[in-house]
Amino acid sequence: MYNNFRSAIKIGGESGQGINSVGKALAYTLKYSGFYTFGYREYPSIIEGGFASYQVDFSGVPINSSSKNIDLAICISRAAIHKMLPELNRNGVLIHSVIRFSLNKEEALLIQKNNIKVFYIDVFTIIKAINANRLVQNTILLGAAIKLLKVDIEFAQKALGKVLNVDKKVLDLNFTALQAGYEFEIDAEVIDLPASATKENPKDDFLMLGNNAIALGAVKAGVRAYYSYPMTPTSSILEFLADLEIETGMVVKQAEDEITAVQMALGTMHMGSRALVATSGGGFDLMTESLSMAAITEIPLVIVLGQRPGPATGLPTWTATGDLNLAVYSGHGEFVRCVVAISDIESAYYLIQKAFNIAETFQIPVIVLTDKQVNESMFQGNKFTAEIVIERGLINDSKTSERYQLTKSGISPRWLPGSSEKTFIANSDEHFFNGRLTEDETEVQLMVEKRMKKETGLLKVIPDPQLFGKRSGDVLLVSWGSPKNTILDFLNLVKGDSKLDFTYLHYEYLFPLKTELFEKLVKNFKRVVLIENNYFGQLGQLIKKETGYNFKEKVLKYNGRPFFLEDLLDYFNYGRTMERPKILK
Amino acid sequence: MCNCAAYNSDELYTWCTNCGNYGIHASIKRALADKNIKPSEVLLCFDIGCHGNGADKINAYSVHGLHGRILPFAAGAAIANKAVTTIAFGGDGGTLSEGINHLIHSIRANYNFTFVLHDNSNYGLTTGQASATTKQGLEMNSSPSGVTSDTLIPMELVLSLKPSFAARTFSGNIKHMESIFKQAIEHEGFSYVEVLQSCPTYNKVTPHEWYAQRVYDVSTLEDYDSSDLELARKVAQDVQDKIAIGVLYLNKDKKDYYSRLASRKSIKTELVEEVKGYNVGNIIDKFR
Repeated sequence: MYNNFRSAIKIGGESGQGINSVGKALAYTLKYSGFYTFGYREYPSIIEGGFASYQVDFSGVPINSSSKNIDLAICISRAAIHKMLPELNRNGVLIHSVIRFSLNKEEALLIQKNNIKVFYIDVFTIIKAINANRLVQNTILLGAAIKLLKVDIEFAQKALGKVLNVDKKVLDLNFTALQAGYEFEIDAEVIDLPASATKENPKDDFLMLGNNAIALGAVKAGVRAYYSYPMTPTSSILEFLADLEIETGMVVKQAEDEITAVQMALGTMHMGSRALVATSGGGFDLMTESLSMAAITEIPLVIVLGQRPGPATGLPTWTATGDLNLAVYSGHGEFVRCVVAISDIESAYYLIQKAFNIAETFQIPVIVLTDKQVNESMFQGNKFTAEIVIERGLINDSKTSERYQLTKSGISPRWLPGSSEKTFIANSDEHFFNGRLTEDETEVQLMVEKRMKKETGLLKVIPDPQLFGKRSGDVLLVSWGSPKNTILDFLNLVKGDSKLDFTYLHYEYLFPLKTELFEKLVKNFKRVVLIENNYFGQLGQLIKKETGYNFKEKVLKYNGRPFFLEDLLDYFNYGRTMERPKILK
Repeated sequence: MCNCAAYNSDELYTWCTNCGNYGIHASIKRALADKNIKPSEVLLCFDIGCHGNGADKINAYSVHGLHGRILPFAAGAAIANKAVTTIAFGGDGGTLSEGINHLIHSIRANYNFTFVLHDNSNYGLTTGQASATTKQGLEMNSSPSGVTSDTLIPMELVLSLKPSFAARTFSGNIKHMESIFKQAIEHEGFSYVEVLQSCPTYNKVTPHEWYAQRVYDVSTLEDYDSSDLELARKVAQDVQDKIAIGVLYLNKDKKDYYSRLASRKSIKTELVEEVKGYNVGNIIDKFR
């Protein structure tokens, strides 16, 4: 048997019912009461209606992923009841505020079979009594839920204060609603959940979205301008940095399109400040001509590519890691680039900083891949301990230098326009060492080779993929991006189990691809399993191209959903035998 | 003092004989030198097209970008370092077709740089296809039966957006161009300068002489008031018989983009001077 120490609560309703706010408030409440949490948001690409949910998984140990099945369902709409009922674990509890609904035969059977308890919270009587409107029904249900969980109401009050961006009057009304929900008499005492609060105290931890961490890493790295066109899942980077603009003094510009955003960034980077752009696949497509321009003019550039499922508009508010090929092969012509992928808030915070160092040192474009699961999920952390020193690769004395002069490393001296009497042209036409146009066959070849040489140096500074576990064993898992979180949580869950011995190889730096470690490891494992949130198994294809290794076992998921714990439990035949909550009478 | 010669490059020009670009280049050099701006104190940003082939024929910090995309590049550069004078150049193809959105939004944003539109009413570098300013009905390369779309009058579009500076000049009059360029550089905000440019190779309909006979400076009109937008719109319409040049419209009260930024209000440094590690501890604490 494996350890079981996680629980999950999911709040479901319609878009516009405050699902996101109350979900975040629940996560903070659980954190303040001593748990490690992970917040996962599902929502349709509409503003009102449909089905939206927020799931908080929590545990006594750090977790960064969601389970498919839940222990407590909080339903604000009829659709939510029908959708979430089948997701409940055995002995699960469902509380709701829906006056009339009818269950079909299967649902009634399910309730019976899984011993699910359903409780109606009469929010409308409460709303009348406290003289509020129906918008607070989510807060009333939160009150009822934390009562069931035996959580101190003060933690929920503190959480609401943190999450709700409202004036005091509205906040007070929410406190009243919370209290009223807390006091509502349910015919159940408390739920005994498998998760228990940790002995170490995570109360002072922070909870932030991947997008917050990306933005913070950018501020830390001295990014002074952010140009972007809103596109899920990176829009909240724009919102967050705009909210911080007075505090940071940054220029935050919502551009008229993605081409504008990336060109403005190139202009700002060329002059010698640091500018960031972020987008998703469709917007990135528009930026690719500029990517190519960055390469030939050797203007450093960093683009965050937040993945969601495509093609085209695809699934705007869902997740995938299907744009690795796009990041690696985009832009016309041949050039050196660096592609990295973040997977959680820590890697987000650090990789953005490193991306700028690489972009400036090597004078190349760097693409930072993320996916909706990282961008918009809420991770728990305590501090970012390491310090990344800013590296710019600028020279002070340009008198005897030529901007594109031939060097062993392929990296030419770079100085900033306006900083020296010695001028140069950044030319999107092929050019020779002074930037002036050339079509001469010898000069063209030398310049192409000069730029290509950078890859050798780049491969020297790029770290090997990260190894979690031993260098030999039964199963080697290989992945990148957000699946890392599910994989590591899965390994933690089955740790100590004698059935299989797992190791995980995580690719954070994806291109140019480092293969030495992988090639050493594959010989030492009985099974090598590729896990990706896409159809092709794009990392697998890249590894095959570089090493000839052919993955026989692949776990590929491409339905817009992230990897849930159960996906891996099922694949490795661990079954669904988790001990689930009991109602204590 | 800076002189014109400082801007001269060793590279040889590659334009056609009698191309309007020669005069524009000469005038830009004269305007910059006269304003005592050194080649190392300016960023000249060129779009793609015949004019862009002059990008490396002038000694200055310069950029040769992508077709239609030079305006946002220049905007990003101008924001990063106000101490460097930014001037962008684009043709009628890149500016009025491929990247027309950038023109509209640059005017709205009022970024502080000068934009020179080389309008020769055709795509020269791709051998004479129609542009948005080619007269409807004209037979062009790839429009053998005549251009079907309506003709765009760029100044009408620009004035409809209430710019802060809109001027028109003519590639055959170096003195006029120099004067307009100087005023554009001095102006704080987006300075739109439209140059009516002759193209001896592909535009046989409106050659140098055609423009020379028709242009007049608005300052020669009695009571012309360049702060009167309606008046500017009125004179801008005629691009056939009497063509108005000069500063058609000027609004000094309009704040430039940078001055509108709340985040940069009390900050004296430039973005290029601010790249360093920042402490984000206080921001992180808000998430606890």
